[in-house]
Amino acid sequence: MSKLGSLVRVALRVNFGLSVFRPKALLKNKRDFWMIPLVGLGIVGVGPLIYYYLKLIKLMYTLLAPTGQTSVLLTFAILLGQFFILIFGFYYVVSAFYFSRDLEILIPLPLTPTQVMLSKFAVILTNEYLTVSFFVLPVFIAYGILAKEGPVYWVGAALTYLLLPVIPLTIVALLVVLLMRFANLGRKKDALIIVGSLVLMTGALGFQYWISRSADSSVDSRAVARVLSSSDGLVRSLGDKFPPSIWATKALAFGFKGEGPLNALFFIGLSGGLFLGLLFAAEKLFYRGLVGLSETSARRKAMSKETLAARVSAGRHPVRAIFGRELRIMNRTPIFLLNGVLSVILIPIIFVLLFNTGSGRSDAALLLVALGSKNPATAVLASAFFMALCGCLNGTASSTFSREGGQFWMSKVIPVAPRDQAKGKLLHSFGVAGLGLVAASAVIIVAFHPKAAVLAAAIAVGAVGAFFLTVLGMVIDLARPLLTWTNPQKAIKQNLNVLLAVFADLGFFFLLYFFARFLGKAGLSGPTVVAAVFGLLSLLGILSYRMLLRFADKRYPQIE
Amino acid sequence: MIELRNVSKSYAKGRVKAVDNLTLAVPAGEIFGFLGPNGAGKTTTIKMIVGLLRPDAGTIAVEGFDVQREPLRSKALTTFVPDTPAVYERLTGLEYLNFIGDVYGVPKRERLDRISKWLEKFELASAVGSPIQSYSHGMKQKIVLIAALLPAPRVMVLDEPMVGLDARAAHHMKAMMREHCDAGGTLFFSTHIMEVAEKLCDRIGIIHKGRLIADGTMEDLRARNGTEQSLEHIFLELTNK
Repeated sequence: MSKLGSLVRVALRVNFGLSVFRPKALLKNKRDFWMIPLVGLGIVGVGPLIYYYLKLIKLMYTLLAPTGQTSVLLTFAILLGQFFILIFGFYYVVSAFYFSRDLEILIPLPLTPTQVMLSKFAVILTNEYLTVSFFVLPVFIAYGILAKEGPVYWVGAALTYLLLPVIPLTIVALLVVLLMRFANLGRKKDALIIVGSLVLMTGALGFQYWISRSADSSVDSRAVARVLSSSDGLVRSLGDKFPPSIWATKALAFGFKGEGPLNALFFIGLSGGLFLGLLFAAEKLFYRGLVGLSETSARRKAMSKETLAARVSAGRHPVRAIFGRELRIMNRTPIFLLNGVLSVILIPIIFVLLFNTGSGRSDAALLLVALGSKNPATAVLASAFFMALCGCLNGTASSTFSREGGQFWMSKVIPVAPRDQAKGKLLHSFGVAGLGLVAASAVIIVAFHPKAAVLAAAIAVGAVGAFFLTVLGMVIDLARPLLTWTNPQKAIKQNLNVLLAVFADLGFFFLLYFFARFLGKAGLSGPTVVAAVFGLLSLLGILSYRMLLRFADKRYPQIE
Repeated sequence: MIELRNVSKSYAKGRVKAVDNLTLAVPAGEIFGFLGPNGAGKTTTIKMIVGLLRPDAGTIAVEGFDVQREPLRSKALTTFVPDTPAVYERLTGLEYLNFIGDVYGVPKRERLDRISKWLEKFELASAVGSPIQSYSHGMKQKIVLIAALLPAPRVMVLDEPMVGLDARAAHHMKAMMREHCDAGGTLFFSTHIMEVAEKLCDRIGIIHKGRLIADGTMEDLRARNGTEQSLEHIFLELTNK
């Protein structure tokens, strides 16, 4: 096998833990049986999502069919996928290219900078395929079936899917390589990751805002007629800010006919061109940007006796000490901060931005329609669900044990009962969920101006819901903590426990929704339904809290 | 006092026996050196003493408290230094020491005195306010050692503690080990440096393929092997079988 092939193979094996994965051993141990109900809950959560997504695609296809513009669905999926990579790709690329620990092993080996960078690029590319598959593949497949496409389409769809991440990822990678080479930011890597990610997210949101505004301002009857009368008017109006999405759509929709081959050529040509540009940058710039990266800047100054005396703590309760440790490590690790703390603030803000763009009838506004319901009970429950989800869909609780990684040995040797350690972690995770609750409340106040009583009731229900989901996330992570990571990204972003917890949360809310609807249909008044949901969530919160403490005492000694 | 009775531990569903029926007692006031080739079972034994691993069979007690049944009481009397200083890199040295002081319940006065003393001895005072991730390997080893000394434990368990230390720090470390045991403490440590073990230890145990193949003072080992030669020579001979 060539050097590059061997390198990529090793990188992928490390990334997916293939060398230690033992599928045959799965569920052989009685200890793993807890996963069955959780996976079930996950299916309950993800099943309806996929069902409604497919239903939406079918509905849109039916609506678009009379205008002959069904291919806009493909543009939508391609744009969404490429946008997602553009927004979140920055810290993947920075972390993998410049801050992964295996660079210290790879650089002294007789490999070229291009080979090392390509192995990293291959890992990110593979991860992106998996990430975007959730919203791209259903569209490609549903479109192919609904349009009764032939083999050329399916081959084209596979090729488009394979090429889809290349353009946005190479753009981000080129940007990162140039930045690292010329901006001398290496030693401030934490600030670089946080600021870079925030700038890209803000830029992408601004871009989305700009598209919505420009689309909004052009809405007059003649423009609408023009868009509808042209066979690709909608495709162009959606994709003209990012032409590769139009090229990919046309290449896919037309195949070998008409404009198909030329657009395919454009799409493949730009992907290839950018990739060659990255190869050139890799050889010339990659290693130069790496110099001194393993060092971290720190001002060394002897501490005076007075300062030391002031900073030596007087003795805190162990639960408080654990809470302080969690808080500091989370807030000082950029990947944890971005995924945990910042995302609970950003998610509701994204909703606000989307809500405020356009005429107020945007998709986000429609999604949130239940929040502004005239029925107080519906408004309370919808707001509470929204708050709890905003607080809990961030992975803080469901990675709380995994985040300790190689340092978990300390938690095992210190004389603090596992239940007390779990309490400290719960305090921290629930604190982050609380931030989400506050941010979501602010969104609801700005967008829907609810009555004080409705808001107060929603916060109460949302808080107990968030508490239960926080505990649920912790239980999931405690059952199978991922402690062997070398890159913090794996502890939270690529941690299966986080994904499992998200699905379990969604599944739980689907069940809760049906429970509330059942009570409403059974003739119970609105306030009684709200009280029943509150009571149920409180009961679940208490029971799950007790279970968590007992589980921690049992599980800590078992983790080796 | 550390007592291991018929302790066994295996990996890979019993196919690899890491520790095989180990019985050993280290009384208070003794520095016990634990030697053995790579993969002999040293680290596994140490991890079982501090509660990181559970033995498959046998019992381990620290100061009379069973490590499995009364883990908090045994842990409160023990501190541990692992072979690689994997510590909270995002905390500053002082934040880490404060954390250890909090969880072991060290009062402020003693905490301040001990931190000042050991920071000075290990020449870490100028770095204690910086994040641990900015430390060199040796500095990380020092901060873990200071953290292990901070609670003034009855029992210290150290896994190859000299690795990465500079000559001065290693000197202070050895002096500290002697002081600790002279004050009635117990010290169990593993090392590959035969000279250190020979000079420093009150008693030496050699483990090979999971079994304790020698245990005694330097004089005992020499007498039993009928030689006047160094520990290195005895070690090589015993572990060659």
